[in-house]
Amino acid sequence: MRFFLILFMGVALFASDATLEIVKSTDNRPSVAIQDASEFGNIRIRQKFFRLVMGDLKVTAHFKVDDRYRESDYDAMIDPLLKDKDYLFRYRFREDGEQRLYLDAKVLDLSSGSPVFERSYRVANRARYPFLIHRAVIDFNDYLQMPSVEWMRRYVVFSQYGKPKSADIIVADYTLTYRKKIISGGLNIFPKWADKNQRGIYYTKLGNRPVLYYYNIYTGEERRVITSDGMLVCSDVSRDGKKLLLTMAPDGQPDIYRYDIETGKRERLTFYSGIDVSAQFTGSERKIVFVSDRLGYPNIFVKRVGDRAVQQLVYHGKNNNACSVHGKYVIYTSRESDNAFSSNTFNLYLVSTESDYIRRLTASGINQFPKFSPDGESVIYIKHYASQSALGIIRLNYNEGFLFPLKGHKIQSIDW
Amino acid sequence: MKKSLFIAAVAAALLMSGCSQKKPEVDMTKQETTETTAPAATEVDTGVNSVVGTEESAGEITTLPEDERMAKIKELEASAKKIYFDFDKYNIRPDQEPRVDEDAQLFASDAAKDLTIKIEGNCDEWGTDEYNYALGLRRAKTVRDALAIKGIEESRMVMVSYGESNPVCTEHTRECWAKNRRVEFELLP
Repeated sequence: MRFFLILFMGVALFASDATLEIVKSTDNRPSVAIQDASEFGNIRIRQKFFRLVMGDLKVTAHFKVDDRYRESDYDAMIDPLLKDKDYLFRYRFREDGEQRLYLDAKVLDLSSGSPVFERSYRVANRARYPFLIHRAVIDFNDYLQMPSVEWMRRYVVFSQYGKPKSADIIVADYTLTYRKKIISGGLNIFPKWADKNQRGIYYTKLGNRPVLYYYNIYTGEERRVITSDGMLVCSDVSRDGKKLLLTMAPDGQPDIYRYDIETGKRERLTFYSGIDVSAQFTGSERKIVFVSDRLGYPNIFVKRVGDRAVQQLVYHGKNNNACSVHGKYVIYTSRESDNAFSSNTFNLYLVSTESDYIRRLTASGINQFPKFSPDGESVIYIKHYASQSALGIIRLNYNEGFLFPLKGHKIQSIDW
Repeated sequence: MKKSLFIAAVAAALLMSGCSQKKPEVDMTKQETTETTAPAATEVDTGVNSVVGTEESAGEITTLPEDERMAKIKELEASAKKIYFDFDKYNIRPDQEPRVDEDAQLFASDAAKDLTIKIEGNCDEWGTDEYNYALGLRRAKTVRDALAIKGIEESRMVMVSYGESNPVCTEHTRECWAKNRRVEFELLP
């Protein structure tokens, strides 16, 4: 009995460490088939919508989703061939006379044949269709009392290069399918959410001299925050939104500073004569994780705010030049070799500030810009592989990854 | 009678020319409201066209002294040597040192000595996020420090990093990336 108790505790402890990969698990998740009953769009558009419905259901990692595209009437009888599945997710896109787009969604329990969930959603214009799908999937997931996937509703903000010395800032849904340009003209880079409700962003406008601005995405209010020589980036915002971690470079020397929004006071946190960048809060905001070349190559370090001592966090790889932090967990990008010309160049790894485990999250291609979801359970990143680009989502607790194809210009920086 | 008719015609022409000067304003508002139709070109010389006389050529169209100065500055700027760097490095390579010497001489010359030097650090597409911008800045700083040692006043020099945002070459080749890992200069009056 005692043996089983220890074994159980061991399993429970292992399961609480996200750096440990779940190698094998029994798949007892409910299976879901999808049927499209849309009255809107041609077959190409319908299949595009279907791919997003299927993608959203899969990204929850709570269902075994059948990939097959099936059409049906919204109120049709259940096809007996689907009886081996647990649920049928049937949806219908339709448009009214004022070009508002509707999504009706209902879920049928295939064992009883009865509808268990039925909702209707609406957006003012058809470009916003991804939000209809995200909302329906979140509600269905909640209905079955699965762990929350509320993060699907959050916006992603990113900067995208245009012509040389020019980049725009764009707000998007988490799959980057819906996009709205919010700042353009000149080189606008490193957008960072200013508050947890995603009402505003900080970003850098780089002219002759970099300037950090605050921009409210709902009112368009813009405020100049601070300026610095050479380089200025807001790399993290405290939970209360009152303190910023900035990379500033007076006299061409990139170092990390903590900036108090209310008092305008700034405090230098790193003092190395090389490169210190990308600082993010950790350990109840008393510590920072950052990227530095103090060992002669870029790597990830941690230090307590106010102390001089710096601790190396990652003992793997020779070029780890970007990271994302959530609580005790850090994801970093690592160049696998000095050969920049092979197809396998950058991979993502997950480490904990409290253990020595390293978990590799990607296996091929160039994987960049990792960002944790606010609950720390998912990671978003950009993948380039075989001259194609995709937005990747990794569900850490489920050991599953998903890719949404991306088109468009090169991404400069991303925040979730 | 003929003379008075002629005077009346000239007067009418002058009146028309008076009216025509206001025309562009009217047409501008029209263009705003009918965005979809291609705007018809507004004739601006109908007035002067009606004035009787012989046009004299004003000779060569000359540039203003300010334009000339800017052209000279751009010429100097173009003769400055770009400094190239190794992958992921910000130290000046031995083969680039003579180029830094040439730049120092150029910036110390009489033609350039009153100009501000904007030192722009650039990177290839391989870095990510902030580190690449910091790398570009350190490249700019290394060049600024080298120029300072060679006698260029620090107060004349400003630095900025464009990271990977300002490539001179966009192909995905080794040669192309090497061209993008550079420091270049902009001269400002």
